[in-house]
Amino acid sequence: MRRSLPFLWIAFLASVPLWLGDPYFLHVLITTGIFTIAAMSLNLLLGYTGQLSLGHVAFFGIGAYTSALTSLGFDVNIFGLRIVHEPWPVVIGFVMGIVVAGLCGYAIGKLSFKVRGAYFVIVTISFAEVTRLVALNWVELTQGPLALNNIPPFTVSFPGLGEHTLWGKVPNYYVMLVVAVLAYAVIARLVRSRIGRAMIALRENEPLATSVGIDVTRFLVLAAVVSAGIAGAAGGLYAHFVRIIDPDIFLFIYTVTMVIMVVTGGKGTLAGPIVGGLIFGILPVFLRAYASPVAQWIIYGVLMILIVFFLPRGIVPAVRAWWENRMGAAAVERTGAPIERAGADAHS
Amino acid sequence: MRLTWMRTAVAAAGLALIAAGPAGYAQTIKIGVNEPLTGAVAASGNFVVNGAKIAADEINAKGGILGSKIELVIEDNKSNPTEAVAAAEKLIVRDKVPVMMGAWSSTYTLAVMPKLMEYKVPMLVETSSSDKITVSGNPYVFRIAPTSGMEATAFADRVGTMKIRKADFLVVNNDWGKGSADVFGKMLKDKGVAIGVIETMDASAQDLNAQLAKIRSSDADTLFVTTAVEQLTLVLKQVQALGLKRQIITTGGSQSPDQLIEQAGAAANGSYHLLFFPPWAPEATPNAAAAKSFVAEWRKRGYTFAGLTEGFRGYDGIHTIAAAITKAGKAEPEAIRAALWETQLTGLNGKIAFNKVGPSGKESGQSTAAVYVVKIDSGKVTLVR
Amino acid sequence: MHGPFSASTELDQLLQHIVNALMLGGTYALLGIGLTLIFGIMRVVNFTHGELYAFGGYMIFFLTSAVGVNFYVALVAAMALGVVLGALIELVLLRPMRGADIDTTMLIMIGCWIVLQNTEQMMWGGVAKSIVSPLTTEPLTIGPVSVAWLRVFVFGIAALLIVGTYALIHRTKLGKAMRATFQDRDTAALMGVNVNAINTATFAIGSGLAAAAGALLGAVFVVTPTMGDLAALKAFAIVILGGLGSIKGATIGGFILAFVEELGAGYISSGYRDAMGFLLIIVVLLFKPTGLFARAERIG
Repeated sequence: MRRSLPFLWIAFLASVPLWLGDPYFLHVLITTGIFTIAAMSLNLLLGYTGQLSLGHVAFFGIGAYTSALTSLGFDVNIFGLRIVHEPWPVVIGFVMGIVVAGLCGYAIGKLSFKVRGAYFVIVTISFAEVTRLVALNWVELTQGPLALNNIPPFTVSFPGLGEHTLWGKVPNYYVMLVVAVLAYAVIARLVRSRIGRAMIALRENEPLATSVGIDVTRFLVLAAVVSAGIAGAAGGLYAHFVRIIDPDIFLFIYTVTMVIMVVTGGKGTLAGPIVGGLIFGILPVFLRAYASPVAQWIIYGVLMILIVFFLPRGIVPAVRAWWENRMGAAAVERTGAPIERAGADAHS
Repeated sequence: MRLTWMRTAVAAAGLALIAAGPAGYAQTIKIGVNEPLTGAVAASGNFVVNGAKIAADEINAKGGILGSKIELVIEDNKSNPTEAVAAAEKLIVRDKVPVMMGAWSSTYTLAVMPKLMEYKVPMLVETSSSDKITVSGNPYVFRIAPTSGMEATAFADRVGTMKIRKADFLVVNNDWGKGSADVFGKMLKDKGVAIGVIETMDASAQDLNAQLAKIRSSDADTLFVTTAVEQLTLVLKQVQALGLKRQIITTGGSQSPDQLIEQAGAAANGSYHLLFFPPWAPEATPNAAAAKSFVAEWRKRGYTFAGLTEGFRGYDGIHTIAAAITKAGKAEPEAIRAALWETQLTGLNGKIAFNKVGPSGKESGQSTAAVYVVKIDSGKVTLVR
Repeated sequence: MHGPFSASTELDQLLQHIVNALMLGGTYALLGIGLTLIFGIMRVVNFTHGELYAFGGYMIFFLTSAVGVNFYVALVAAMALGVVLGALIELVLLRPMRGADIDTTMLIMIGCWIVLQNTEQMMWGGVAKSIVSPLTTEPLTIGPVSVAWLRVFVFGIAALLIVGTYALIHRTKLGKAMRATFQDRDTAALMGVNVNAINTATFAIGSGLAAAAGALLGAVFVVTPTMGDLAALKAFAIVILGGLGSIKGATIGGFILAFVEELGAGYISSGYRDAMGFLLIIVVLLFKPTGLFARAERIG
């Protein structure tokens, strides 16, 4: 039961397009999934290493722009040096997006060792803002405010079956789902490994962790690289699904959206960002009928304050505590909660 | 716990389906409207929507079309191209509109255009003026706004009388601004006018002193400015603060001189504006009766007078769409697209009829439009004839 | 020499850029001082700072246009309302959270920022608002340099508020208590300083300064619901440049940022105007993480 539950979940999620008749809701689910992946990646930094990276959208945007530009091609002049890039297949672009975002994550990870707390927050915000302004002003490369349009959709090729372009929503849903499952698996493995335990030890008590021989820089950098790479993957998915990106993709509000997802769901838990992501991805569809987008944001803001006040650890830990209370120790065994606990807080 | 979650999720999805079900009312014909209602160019988008509402109410008061009332489904594109695409996606997929009007800025319109091809839904372009829109081979685009090229050609006769010898440009850094600088620059060169500096600005930039300081060091006599009214107010104020003495000509038809007078005060004096509807002189337009009643209705609703120069676009757009639906005999995308080629009416700007432009076999529709030049003098707007 | 159609020299252009930067620097400094006080004394990364700035802009707009109050009275009222709103935020949201870590209060401030910004948008819509000032629109021209009287007025008021805040911190009992709290919160509490009251006062003063900056710059430019976002980021930049909790540092930081922006926009690229400040922060933090003018900082 414990082992099969994740597979049941995946099977359920995979069945969604089969019975969900409404293409618009499927569209919402795909974008929700993409932002949930980004939130999962943020959780790795925010929840497990305790580094509040408020420039996380930069990695998302860098992944999106890199992937889009690799697959669209470009022709730029840098100080008299002309660089022409012919369009490459989308899959290569997608991987490039992950790599470039990961490299930026490496730089930020190195930096996070040098500046901490409030300073780190400001540096990450500044980094995101600089990437936005570069995307806005390097018109030759990014088209600036004209937006990068007509980004090719994903293609898949099977040996012997030729190449297929994924135009519709259903194939894109499955691409998103595959990336989401892979991202989850990577993060889950990482936080349950020795490295993950070291990261949590770092979050809880850095001097102590350092004194027992944990290499702080190495773990922070590793977490930052993986986190940025996954955010870049989410960005790539977004670019090839929506097929248009503009510099506003780097706006601070998107980072805030991810932070809200993580904090609401429960930072430092594997399920937290997924719960938060689903809530804040799907909530707008419900709220539409009753509240304008502006009113919705007010609700999110209030919700965020209330959660920090009354559920400081988020929904998932709170629900788990309530469930354990009710069901007693026996239920804990059945639902498989201890696995999550091992990664989340058992070692705190 | 996880099972509970699954149940909640299923219930949530079910509820969402109900919420996502047919939202409108039966027996109405939906027309999608995709305009910037918030963000950098929100004022203009709101004016266009006001005009569209007047047209819709007028049509419905006369019993609607094909026996049904029309219903405007209005979406905010937040002054952003990606949001414009999201709005179009929502209008087509969720609201199932058979035809749309939008998306104000050339950049937003260009962004939306691939969606029109994908879903085969026609869109009437009411404001965007970039030449690129109608030459890309998109047969779902029908434009009633004049292109920047048409505007420049219409202005060519006045270059001599306005004694332009050397011109600088300050334009917003998008398709509209840059396209406008291109075609006006070309037209001026053909007329033997020298071109000085060409400065660009981001649509949301507020401090333009750096650009203006550069323009100040040029020896041109005329400054062409292309941007929306919000930014234009700032440009005029800062031009005056810098003591920059130039003949200022604004292009694009989204300048709203009255708003400039109200917000920039004396800084607006002496400036010329290229417009597509002169509400100060409705009698000078081809459809004087309609123009007068539109201006009267606009005032009656308490909309700001300054918005009329923009609001007429929404009015003309919705009337054109309604005429096409009537001609088509049914509210289906392909029928409306075919009918738009046959549609002819006299709008507030002038005669509306679509000519084929762009690659053959997949031409876009482009209507010709009248251009009016007005001047602001001691806080009053006069039509330059 | 500077007739209507004559070319001005490179030097004239540079002088004009310098004057523009000076005028802008005053308001930047004002924005930075408010934030640095809150940051330094309360250890709160105040994401609502930009919203208080926008609030000031909207209040002066509302009071002059809808209520019909005199411009100068509205300016003072906007600042006073900023003080009130700041005090309310501190009492309702921050006081119950005293002792929480810096990340927690930051999240609360982000939530509050979202609520404030969207409330502004809901009340006044997304369309930019212009404030009509009673000052003449004819510029003040000295030799090759021109500047609007309104900018001169704004600069004067900003300078007055900066000097006033400095005097408050260094010449009054409240200021002394604030400085003591900044030095060492626990000792200050033991010495009989009411730390709660100091926090409220600090947040209220900081918010009032932000509202004043917003009202002043709102009159120069236009007021929009999102005007606070960039302002908040710039305020962070100024504070980082000047070092935590230093009024002098924030003042100098404000002017540095204005000069870097204006000269960068004039001679490198006007599009990168806003990027200059952020690049500066990254560079400064990499090479001198405590800011350009910081004294040794004490975490307390």
